[in-house]
Amino acid sequence: MKTLLKWFVPLMVLSLLLAACQPAATPTPEKVIETVTVEKEKEVVKTVEVEKPAERAVVRLSGWAASPEETALLQSILLDFTVENPDIVVKYEPITGDYWQQLKTSIASGVEPDVFYMDIFQFPAFVRDEVLLPIDDLMAKEGVKREDFIPSLIDAFSEGGVTYGIPKDFNTLGLFYNKDLFAQAGIAEPTDDWTWDDLKAAAEALSNPANNIYGLGVPADPGRFPIFVFQNGGAIMTEDYSDTLLDSPAAIEAATFYTDFRKNQIGAIPADVGEGWQGTVFGKGQFAMVYEGGWLIPYLKQQFPNINYGVVTPPAGPKGEGNLIFTVAYVISRNSKNPEAAMRVINYLTSEKAQTKVLESGFALPTRLSLQNSEYLKTNPASNAIFRGALQGARPFVWGLVGSDVNEQMGKALERIYLENQAVDASLKQAAQVIRQKIAEVK
Amino acid sequence: MAQTVSTRPAGLFRRGNNPEKRKKRSEALTAYVFLLPYLFIFLTFTVFSIGYAFYLSFTRYNLLRPPEWWGLEGYRRVLCLESLLPRGEDAPPLVCDDLFIKKALPNTVKYTLIVVPTQTVLSLILAFAMDQKLRFRRLFRTIYYLPSVTSSVVISLIFVWLFSPLGIVNQIFHLNINWLNDPRYAFYTIMILNVFTTSGTLMLIFLAGLQDIPTAIYEAASIDGANKFQTLRYITIPMLRPVVFFVVTVGLIGCFQVFDQIYVMTSGGPLDSTTTVAYLIYKWAFRDTTVKMGQAAALSFILALIILVFTLIQRRIIEGSGSVGSA
Repeated sequence: MKTLLKWFVPLMVLSLLLAACQPAATPTPEKVIETVTVEKEKEVVKTVEVEKPAERAVVRLSGWAASPEETALLQSILLDFTVENPDIVVKYEPITGDYWQQLKTSIASGVEPDVFYMDIFQFPAFVRDEVLLPIDDLMAKEGVKREDFIPSLIDAFSEGGVTYGIPKDFNTLGLFYNKDLFAQAGIAEPTDDWTWDDLKAAAEALSNPANNIYGLGVPADPGRFPIFVFQNGGAIMTEDYSDTLLDSPAAIEAATFYTDFRKNQIGAIPADVGEGWQGTVFGKGQFAMVYEGGWLIPYLKQQFPNINYGVVTPPAGPKGEGNLIFTVAYVISRNSKNPEAAMRVINYLTSEKAQTKVLESGFALPTRLSLQNSEYLKTNPASNAIFRGALQGARPFVWGLVGSDVNEQMGKALERIYLENQAVDASLKQAAQVIRQKIAEVK
Repeated sequence: MAQTVSTRPAGLFRRGNNPEKRKKRSEALTAYVFLLPYLFIFLTFTVFSIGYAFYLSFTRYNLLRPPEWWGLEGYRRVLCLESLLPRGEDAPPLVCDDLFIKKALPNTVKYTLIVVPTQTVLSLILAFAMDQKLRFRRLFRTIYYLPSVTSSVVISLIFVWLFSPLGIVNQIFHLNINWLNDPRYAFYTIMILNVFTTSGTLMLIFLAGLQDIPTAIYEAASIDGANKFQTLRYITIPMLRPVVFFVVTVGLIGCFQVFDQIYVMTSGGPLDSTTTVAYLIYKWAFRDTTVKMGQAAALSFILALIILVFTLIQRRIIEGSGSVGSA
């Protein structure tokens, strides 16, 4: 007992110290999307003489506050806007903390901002309950064309031929691979033409469970698994979200392929190696390949600057390419008193000029088609791979009104397979059954 | 007890010519003026909020649309009770959310039944130890109390590290348990955390209770030849009864409402093994894409009712014949 205690105290202190040095686990990678530190914008004080117009329209703009640098960048763009549009006052009101909770309660009390961020995942509920203003007429007046934006993005924010939002930025998934581990295993690095078979063969060659090294990260994450269903010709929900297809043969096959990686010890979930997020595991060199979005690039730059990695678009499955799009748009509230002014703000924020500025700072990918040949993407192959994802049959990350339930059930279905050894088809059927119950609940 | 009658608050608006009565009236008025700021906050943020939540519990409300009355449907969906609402022939198929009945309630009851006795006994033992004349007694008291003054979020994060697969707990005991990601262990990890954090405060309360017992009783007992164990069994514990009642009640309410540790450590997972009633309320009210505010409000009132019932039952048990309970 005494010797145990003798060891316990220093170990305790040591572990606390070690723990303090490690980055916090990020269980919800979606949130990390834009936490980037790039060269800080130079502070420029601008004093511009403008004529004072008789009446100035006030536009309140709200979004989550990703990082101080990004907020500063947005504010500098807004300043430029005010200089060019002296008749409009933009009040930027970033929301820290739980964005959706605050936004929804502000809508409930009728004090929501004129313009706010809308994640595609939350979009269906806001459209159904008529919170968002259809903006086609305003777009025409302002000269904003749908064709200028990446089709998969602008379509995501449209319903029944009506446009509700202008995409602000997006992310897709790419296959991140550790070049050093590939060299050690003596196999060829992935290309954009890879298929499931190549993926599996590489994972087998790369894995070394005895040393805690696994070929592929296969987390029980509803933000990763669906691409395998898409690549197998399946879908998570029907077109109108009135039913789930999670228990269809295509989905069950995909889930079997996905979970077999862990079963055969050529893949693992982050918890297997004591982490919360596979991005960290990838950085530590324990997962040779992971499916992640552009948010991993700045994270690796910051936390694991020495890692030697590449990114390709996800390998195709038996039924071709498949990817997920995570995207955010600017939308206008139906209660806005100055919708025209609001549209002008949105147009400015999503203009080529503003998006180039954001792109060059490394915060987010632009939604304008014209920027696909920009210098930045040419010189940053990793970001380019993520960008190209949106042009190759990717589908938006949205499952209708019960999105959070679908996500939860998908995660649980995978967890049951991983942690309780439940059969794949039984687990997915159970999940589909709960999802149907949830769909009935919100009807 | 007789003299307490005269200190009853004087009727505020009763007319009285007698100068003493007038003085009392103005005293009462002053008291109310002092109370006013608190009363205002209490009425707005507590009474009104509870009243409005009660109204919401009978509505369907997703925050984006105005609440829509649907009577007992919310309660029925929470409890999965068909009988709560008469249903016609052409009624749609039964819709309910069985997460409360199947997971949240059993989890919460299990949590309470394990944590409350453990933390009560542990803190009582600690209090006895701290009541002895030990060396460094003050230091130990401070150490045991430290977890209670630390933010529960911070402690939860520390526990996440301690209990991670490669964490110190596994290293010391040579285990290979994935504490927080295994449905079999996750809930127990949170129980350990809670016992660890609350025992300090409860120890302090017991300590105060112990020092309140008059030494004369112990002296009398020792003259009568009572040994240490008899003293403990027949004097200390009965005299501590009101304190035990308080500690158990506070523990019970705290356990039924356990939320922050779960929010930080597991978010109700893995596989709902740590979903408690309070977490389920939060999930329905804020986490879901389509918010179920009415259903969440209904569950809040069900939880309040459960706590009330358990407190009453336990009051009966602890006060027993009621001989010492009046203290």
